[in-house]
Amino acid sequence: MPGSLRSRVRNVFLPVNASNVAAMWQERFGMDPEAFSGLQFFKKASSIWAISEADLPRLSYESLGMRIISCKDRPWKPTTAALQVFGRHAAKNLVHLEESQAMLFLQGAGQLLPEYCDSSICEPGYVVVFYRGDVLGCGLYSHGKLVSQIPKERRIESSSGDQL
Amino acid sequence: MDPLDRYREIIPDFEAFRAVQSLPLYSSARINTLKISRGALLERLEEASVPHQCFSWYPLGLKLDVESPGKLLENLLGFIHIQEELSMAPPLVLDARPGETVLDMCASPGSKTTQISQMMENRGLVVANEPSLARIAALRSNCERLGALNVAITRYDGRMFPRGSFDRVLVDAPCSSEGRERRGPGTLTRCNAARSRELHVLQAGLLKSALRLARPGGVVVYSTCTYAPEENELVVQEAIEGYESGQSGRPALRLERVGLQGLLECPGITEWEGRAFFADMDKTARYYPHINDTGGFFIARIVKE
Repeated sequence: MPGSLRSRVRNVFLPVNASNVAAMWQERFGMDPEAFSGLQFFKKASSIWAISEADLPRLSYESLGMRIISCKDRPWKPTTAALQVFGRHAAKNLVHLEESQAMLFLQGAGQLLPEYCDSSICEPGYVVVFYRGDVLGCGLYSHGKLVSQIPKERRIESSSGDQL
Repeated sequence: MDPLDRYREIIPDFEAFRAVQSLPLYSSARINTLKISRGALLERLEEASVPHQCFSWYPLGLKLDVESPGKLLENLLGFIHIQEELSMAPPLVLDARPGETVLDMCASPGSKTTQISQMMENRGLVVANEPSLARIAALRSNCERLGALNVAITRYDGRMFPRGSFDRVLVDAPCSSEGRERRGPGTLTRCNAARSRELHVLQAGLLKSALRLARPGGVVVYSTCTYAPEENELVVQEAIEGYESGQSGRPALRLERVGLQGLLECPGITEWEGRAFFADMDKTARYYPHINDTGGFFIARIVKE
């Protein structure tokens, strides 16, 4: 049946070398590869997934652990879910927000942050966004502007006041 | 007719049980130790002046006195998960350990899946099965928000789940949800014995499949949020009988007593409408809203020898 064949193709997860994945995060965010120990990695379509090391029974899977990277466009994009887990290990390309800025970010908005323009602080591209020591998620920073990459279902409505 | 009336003989202090149905249930949440410690989370709530109270029976459960707990930053960051109080009980009865292989047969939206994952400290594997594609999005979203890294999602009809030899299997079955009336007033209007008998067929199929998929020595937990014996004791009775009448030489099954310290349970019933069940059926647990000021739940724990 063409239907079941399609679904089988859609659900193919191919193993990915752990050191290659760790190297990507080390290059962009200065992360110690140790941050990813105990995990195994898979690629499906244009995404990379991370799941705890364990024997996987022979089943057809919809997802394996957490989707951590989207390779759909260049450069690769870290997911907000992954940054909330691994982002605290990042040593570069970090942005720290004040309360009102964090609120805008969580609403999914863009904002000007000229103070990060110096490329020795922040290279253009995807960044780890912090508020009071917590990772909020992924942002895209270029030309002094930070654009929130928080997925729609995890944003705060703009009507919910200006306090976190 | 009152759909609860047929339980007059089996539910203690029936009038109080009937009266509590119209009292709304408070909001509650579970602290997600995959992302934050209990101490740090409680400190945050204090600092942000979020009114809360810890459950007496489960240190990671909280009552929250806020209008929209889902909008708390702590929820968006995955430090807490909004979850009904008694929904936290089945994973504790399942009692999964780090490194084990566990099947959550009816997983979406993943409240129990992620609680199991946190009890396993993200080690080992939770196979979270959900037959409905539409419901998989919520399951995935909750697993990712909560930082569950040991969960793999499958989409099978649980009754025909192809293979496995799981240390533990949870069947939190689709049910008539009578125990949710305090959360969603009007739920009861859709409940009656005929509907429960229909659901029974699906539930017994799921539990039989779970008994097949557990390894020898493994544990199967069956739970619902309903009172109907057709969806509870009758399902357990039929699944065990069906399993035991199957191939010879299969490992025996044993019902184990369900009890959680600090939470009062009533024993499962041992007969209904003239039909007698295994004497051990009184080891299953019925949780009633007027006794613990909660919703309602049924939990059975079966060990495969």
